[in-house]
Amino acid sequence: MSSVETIPNNALIAEAAPYCEKGGVFWYSDSTLNVRDVARAMNAVQARFITITTYELPANGGFRLEYHWDLMGHLLGFTFPLAANTIESIYDLCEAADWIEREVHEEYRIDFTGREYEPLLLREGGVCGVNLQKEVVQ
Amino acid sequence: MSYEIPMGPYHPGLEEPYKLNMICEGETVKDARLHIGFNFRGIEHLAETRNYIQVIALMERVCGICSFIHTLTLCQAMEKLTGLTPPPRARYIRVIMGELERLHSHVLWAGIAAKLMGFKTMFMTCFEIREKVMDVLQAISGNRVNYAMNRIGGVNRDIEDPQSILAMVEALEKEMTRTIIPIFTTSKTATSRCAGIGVLTTEKARSLGVVGPVARASGLGQDLRKEAPYAAYGEMDFSVPVVPDGDVRARLLVRALEIMESCKILRQALAKLPPGEIAPPGDGSKFSFTGGTATARVEAPRGEVMYSVSWKEGARMPSRVHVRTPTYVNMPSVRFMVQGARLADVPLIQAAVDPCYSCTDR
Repeated sequence: MSSVETIPNNALIAEAAPYCEKGGVFWYSDSTLNVRDVARAMNAVQARFITITTYELPANGGFRLEYHWDLMGHLLGFTFPLAANTIESIYDLCEAADWIEREVHEEYRIDFTGREYEPLLLREGGVCGVNLQKEVVQ
Repeated sequence: MSYEIPMGPYHPGLEEPYKLNMICEGETVKDARLHIGFNFRGIEHLAETRNYIQVIALMERVCGICSFIHTLTLCQAMEKLTGLTPPPRARYIRVIMGELERLHSHVLWAGIAAKLMGFKTMFMTCFEIREKVMDVLQAISGNRVNYAMNRIGGVNRDIEDPQSILAMVEALEKEMTRTIIPIFTTSKTATSRCAGIGVLTTEKARSLGVVGPVARASGLGQDLRKEAPYAAYGEMDFSVPVVPDGDVRARLLVRALEIMESCKILRQALAKLPPGEIAPPGDGSKFSFTGGTATARVEAPRGEVMYSVSWKEGARMPSRVHVRTPTYVNMPSVRFMVQGARLADVPLIQAAVDPCYSCTDR
């Protein structure tokens, strides 16, 4: 995590070895990253949380979550493959992630552990995972 | 004794369907819970069933006011996967359309805010000016909404007579300088209803990740047109208005100042509109996509819009389109803005965010 924690300005983002610019995003390519460590590191440099994008992998391969933060106009990206449908919540570290986590939970039945869910954001009284998940597991 | 007052999903104080459950003591709001999704449309899922031409028309329907911005962001993401770069003239036309849409959005918001303040004359004045902005948009695109201007690698329609559009913009600027700006910035009616209410502190704004005029009215100077310029914004000279107060008046001031900056950008873009093509050669019906994911961000009138687009090599349809709209991140801040507010101020406070539920329930 040392490389993420020491991003102090724009120039270092481009120079930092683990980052790779692709499709308009500076991707941090370390498969051992923990999402909560990333959130703490982003808080430390006052990066702005943007969103989580969910990709359903083919052949029931689970999901891939992409977390994005903005740091002085640079779009940073962190990828987390999910073998099971769970990942640790960052809501307590990053208030801005609340609605995004709830939306992903409701659309894909992905469970963000360590947080409580309020009543459904998108579907009052409905079932999770019916909006975007192709094969609904009841 | 505390009691709960529901506001919405269908309420005269709300322009669109969402629900605010407020816990009140007397006339004071202690806390509130927000509920959205009453018109959830599943557009992201629908996008996976549309080809690269159809998906532009579909995403134009995410928002009625920011329809140009949504197709611009989508096209910029798709351009990264097709390797196409818009010609200079197209980039300038994108700036012109983007700023006209910002004018349209801010003047529309000013009218609605005036109505909620009980300032009906100002509401009518704003809507009269908004009509003139829409006349300009219609003169360029042929449409009042859903302009169908963007395509992969450029734009669909040219601005053949920039001087006539410039004359319309100058007339608009004159009217705004004479009416909207002085009334909203100096009138006691506006100030007494807006000053000190619905405060969002800089720290809270940063923590919630709010965007656009809501962030700039809480002292955060973020604007993608400056921080990560797209289209031809890197060649424009303009300022980003920032007000630190965080109340409804600050949001009013930021938007009023942004109207003036938009006029400044429009004058520059129309004066410097470069000659040349507006799109790559060909009829624009065949594109070859490389496999992978691309992301684009644009500063919409309400703040940052982000599209992530995923494509399989050579496919005609996207395998995923994710949209993060500005209202989706700005709305949770309403809960904190209304805490401690008078019940009667809530409609104006929530309107000061300039919420768009069409975007939120995409």
